[in-house]
Parts: sequence; C-alpha cells; structure tokens
Amino acid sequence: MADAVMTVEMIQASQAGMKALGAGIAVGLTGIGTGIAEMGIGSAAVGATAENKDIFGLVLLLTVIPETIVIFGLVVGLLLLF
Amino acid sequence: MLKPRPMCRVLIAAPKEQMEPVIQELYRRHLFHIEDFVEQGREGYEGFKIGMPLPRANDASKELLELRSVTNSFMLKSEDIDPTQKRSSPELEKIIERDLPLIEKEATELLGNRSKLETQIKEYEQKIEGLIPFTAVSVPLELLRGYSTLTVFAGYVSRNVTPACPFDSEYIPSKGRNFIVLIVPATAGAEAEKALNDAEFQPVEIPEEDGYAKSRTGYYAGNIATLQDQIKEINAKLDDQKKQHAELLLACDELLTAEVERAEAPLRFATTDLAFVAEGWVPETEVEELSRSIMQVTAGKAYVTELEIDLEHDKVPVEYNNPSFAKPGEVLMDVYSRPKYTEIDPTLMVSIVFPIFFGIILGDLGYGIILLAMVLGLRKFLKGEEGRLLLITLRNASIATIIFGILYSEFLGFPLWWSSIMPNRHLSIGGHGGGHGPAIPELMIMAIWIGILHITLGRILGMVNHSRQDHGAHRMKAVLANLGWILVMWGILTLIWSGFAIPYMIDLTGMPAVMGVSIGAIAGAVMLVIGVVFIARDSFLEIVELPTIISHVLSYARLVAVGLSSVAIAMVTNYIAIGIIIEPQLEHLTVIGVVIIIAGVVVFLLGHAMNTALGILGGGLHSIRLHYVEFFTKFYKGGGDKYEPFGMKKKFTED
Repeated sequence: MADAVMTVEMIQASQAGMKALGAGIAVGLTGIGTGIAEMGIGSAAVGATAENKDIFGLVLLLTVIPETIVIFGLVVGLLLLF
Repeated sequence: MLKPRPMCRVLIAAPKEQMEPVIQELYRRHLFHIEDFVEQGREGYEGFKIGMPLPRANDASKELLELRSVTNSFMLKSEDIDPTQKRSSPELEKIIERDLPLIEKEATELLGNRSKLETQIKEYEQKIEGLIPFTAVSVPLELLRGYSTLTVFAGYVSRNVTPACPFDSEYIPSKGRNFIVLIVPATAGAEAEKALNDAEFQPVEIPEEDGYAKSRTGYYAGNIATLQDQIKEINAKLDDQKKQHAELLLACDELLTAEVERAEAPLRFATTDLAFVAEGWVPETEVEELSRSIMQVTAGKAYVTELEIDLEHDKVPVEYNNPSFAKPGEVLMDVYSRPKYTEIDPTLMVSIVFPIFFGIILGDLGYGIILLAMVLGLRKFLKGEEGRLLLITLRNASIATIIFGILYSEFLGFPLWWSSIMPNRHLSIGGHGGGHGPAIPELMIMAIWIGILHITLGRILGMVNHSRQDHGAHRMKAVLANLGWILVMWGILTLIWSGFAIPYMIDLTGMPAVMGVSIGAIAGAVMLVIGVVFIARDSFLEIVELPTIISHVLSYARLVAVGLSSVAIAMVTNYIAIGIIIEPQLEHLTVIGVVIIIAGVVVFLLGHAMNTALGILGGGLHSIRLHYVEFFTKFYKGGGDKYEPFGMKKKFTED
C-alpha cells in the first residue's frame, strides 16, 4: 500500500461512502433493537388482550414505545446523509 | 368543552306501588345512570334491602333466551340492519304471542335437522378415513376377518416382512408409508408379530365392512354429497327465513330486552317493605325535566331530590361534552381511557391535532385523495357507531393529508407545479428530486418546535389538573413540579440557544455577558436549577426521569422521519416503474414492450397500494402514539366511568 496515491476526490468519495455506511448501520441496528424490544412486549400484549379486550389501547401503547429507538436511528441517518 | 358534562346526583324515593311507573318513566327518558345499591349498611341505609324483580321478569327472560338462540344461529346483529319501519309495542306484543313461537319452532327444527346431518357426515368421513389404507388391497374386506385358525395383521411398516412361518401377504409400498396385510396361521402369530415389530409395525384396524374398500369409500362419498346437498337446501331455507324475519326478530329482541331490563331494575334499588329508593346520576340540565315527569307519572307520590356530590369519593359517570366536530375524537380517547369527572377532557385537542399530525406525516395530495375515496366508499359497509366515528376521524385525517400534500407539493411522490411551501421533502431518487434535495434540518427543527409546544401545553394542562384535583400541601407541590418540568425544558433550550445559533430558532448568542458568561446561559441555568428543585420537592425519584425531556421532544422527529420514509418509498416506486421499466420501452414501442409497460403499471399500482397501507398505518399509529405517550403522560390519567343511562336507543320499536 506504500505506493498507493490518495487524491482529494478519493478521500471525498470514501467519506461519502462512510457516511452512507454510518447511516445504514444507524437505521439497521436501531431497527433490530426496536424489534427485539417489541418482541417481548408484543407477545405479552397479545396474550393480555386475549384475556381482556378492554386493554387493547393500553397494550398498543406499550408495544409502540420502543419505536422511538428506530426513529432516533432514522434521525441520525438522515442528519448524516443530508 | 374541555370538561365532561356536569352531572347531578339524584335520589328518587317512592312507595313500592309506584315502582313500575317510575321505572317505565326512567327507561323512557334514558337519562338516569343508576348507581347500584349494595347492602353494606351504608350510613342512612340501615334496614334497606335489594329489591325483587318485577313479576314479569321470569317470563320475559325465558322468551328472550329462546329468541336469542334463534337470532344467534342466524347471526343477526342489529348494527347490520337498517330498519324500514318502527313497530309499536302493542303490535309487537301480539306478534310475540302469536307468530314468534311458530317462527322459532320452524327455525329450531331446521337447525336441529342441519346439525343431525352434519353429525352423519362426520360419521361417514370417519368411516372413509378407516377405509383409505385398504383401497389398494385386492381382497374384499370380509375375507380379512372372522378366522379362528388364521391371524390377520394389517398396518404400516418400514419395509416388506417375510416371516419364517407359512404366510400370505400383500405389500403395498408407497412414499413414506408402506402398507402390509399379512395372514399367518394362528399358531405362528407371535413369531409373525415379532418380525413385523422389527419393521416398525403400526397396526391399522380392519373396518367392519363387506366388499372392496374402494367401492365402499365411493359409496360413503356419494352419501356425503347427498347430505351436503340437503344441508345446502336447509341453509337456503334458513337464509330465506333470516331475510324474511330479520327485522321482526330484532324488533322483538329489542322489546324483550327492554322488558327484561325494566323488570330487573329493582335489583339495583334499595327497598324496604313499603318503599324504594333509587340513586343515580343525571346531567345537570335535565334534572328539572326528569323530576317533573316523575312527579307527573306518580301523581305526586314520589320524592325527587338532588344530593350533594363528594368529588373525592363519588365515582361520577362521565359523559363527553364536545362540539359536534370533535365527537369522532372520543373514539380515540376511549381507546386510551375515558377522562375522570374532575379532569380536563382533551378530546377537543386530540381531534384537532391528530389530523394535523397525520397530515404532516403522510402529506401527499395523491394519497390524501385515495384515502378520502376509501373512507367515502367504506361508509356503506361500516355501520356501527364506533366504526362511523372512526371513519370520520380518518376522513378528517385525509383532508389534512390533502392540505399538507398541497403545501409539500407532492402527488404520489411526484413534485407538483409549484415548489414546496413547507420545507422540501423531495429526495433525489432517480433524478426526480428537483431542487436541492430535502431540507432535513428545517424539517427537523419544525418537528422539534411542534414537540416543544405540544409538551409545554401538556404540562400546563397538568398544572390545571393538579390544582383542580389535589388538596392540601400536595396540591401546591404538584402544580410547581409541573411548572418545574416546563422550566427545565425551556432552561435547557435557553442554554442551547445562547451557545449555538440554530436556524428557525431563537438566537441568544448575541446576549451581553456577565463575567464571561452570557446572560442567556445564566438565565437558562437558573431556570434549570429551579425546575429541578421544584420537581424534587414533589417527588425525589422523578429526577431520574429528567432525560425523558430530551427523548420526548426528539420523539416528535417521527413526524418528519416517518413521512420521509413514505416519500422515499413513493419515489422509489415511481423510479422503478416509470424510470426503469416503462420509459425505455416507450422509445421503441414493440409488442413485448407493451407487455413490459403493463408490468410497469402493475409495479406502480402495487407499490403505491402498499405505500398507502403503510402510510395509513404509520401516519395513524405514530400520531396517536405522540398523543398517548408524549402528550397524555404529562397530565392525563383517565379511568372515568362511562355514563350509561338506564334505557336504550330504540332502533326497531317505538312506544
């Protein structure tokens, strides 16, 4: 690699690529996190609703709480890209 | 507005012989929310007992039970049927006595016959199942049983079996399971069984049938087909009956339900040997009217009075009191919880802000029009009260979507003729972006401003609620704690503003400095500290919740983020369908090209259909979630009882 020449364009291109990678990782990992978090809540919520229909609203609410995580990821991703 | 309908606690006392007219009148007025009497020796109620049902209760409930068994098997629901006429009670009573038993008898007979036929079909199906393994066997079934010197084995094996003793067998190999019929002398039974067991033998019972299994199967299948035809006939007859009598049955149901409810009302009253007392809730505006009419039907032999309300201990039933345009929002409130009587009712705010949030998220003229068309189309099919209100909510949301679509200048992801009035959301996908790409920072700041204001409003409402509901020393602390949350939030904001100049936000960087620190920063820090003190004075543990200020405000970024993702899906769909599939074909039109263009149109439609579904789901769920989680947690508890006045809304009958 000693004789490799880095031009400014190459550095800029790799920076853009890194940004895109970062954005992708941010959204992807937070998505996984949200998924894992909602997995437990969701299954409990379905069980609870089967027992008592009246709490549907409350459990829907509890289920979507971890959604904030992926929204943060998306926000970070968007800020990185634009 | 913002408060539930004011209620009065009303007590009615009268001699027992006036019970029936009073119940009739209360039922007819549909205003009195009965508070059930419980025999617990409450002060002033010593010696009172729960009343006995009126004499008619037994017969009416029996009749209702019989009727319900028919309406249930017809799957009749009053929501599904629009009445063509209202029947009067005396006319219906005659029908109930004369015609109803006949209709019920006919229906029960048909239903009984149907279930008999269904059992028979099940039996035949079981027989066929037992016969299936033998269909390939080349011997009639009667030859496989009834021997004293021979033993017959039949069942599944993993491979063919040839025992050492004399035997005859038929081996039918098939994929997965091989069937064998093995006949050996009775004396060699044990030996053969051992050989079979080595081949993982699973015995199958030999059916008690004569003839070849195949023909028997055919015979039973034929029988099943005939029975099914008969069932179809019965179903058609039942359908005819249902169509013919639906309205009448529902009207009878309504009348009998009313009768049973009236007859059982005394179970909720307090009675002595000679008199009864009913307590309940009536909207303040209706009290006078109700007491006057009760006096009238009892010829002045009743005593009606208003009781004082003890807001701390009484569970006052809650009836919404909203202007008609905010009514649909009540559905969204009931999903969460009905407000308490003393609480601010946020329905009005929800019904205004929910469509706006929905519009900000979806914000596309095309999707707005599609959604509006869907709502108008669905109106014919959704008949229930809740469904109707939900549709109105969606209609408002779709109108907001259209308005924001015009502001964003978006139509199914395409830009319209004018440039976006709101911060631009067009991405540069496939060169369709136009301009300088999306204005992410502006959009974010817009979302955060919405969050700051919405949460501040929530906290202010929290102060009002606490000042109304709490008492003593706790009241002041709780109010100040809510003020503390506002101070902390705005203190953090002031600190940020005096450090950095952010576009579209207040710029405090130019403030004069005292001892090297800007006044803005000092003010921010002071607000923050005071706020934290206020919060800690109410409840020290709340301090750990401080970071939620940031996470809740940032959570409003979903208004932008979810919206942008739906724009992205729309633009990608357009690019794939038009840019990649259709446009290149249009240059040199060929026969195959036309097919590809049709495929492109299909992709276009599918993509946008999916995005519409996602848009409704995302827009609806996220905006309601912002209310439930970020807004309501600041001030709203809920848990009020629904105001359910004694009586019913008559649909099929009239007095």
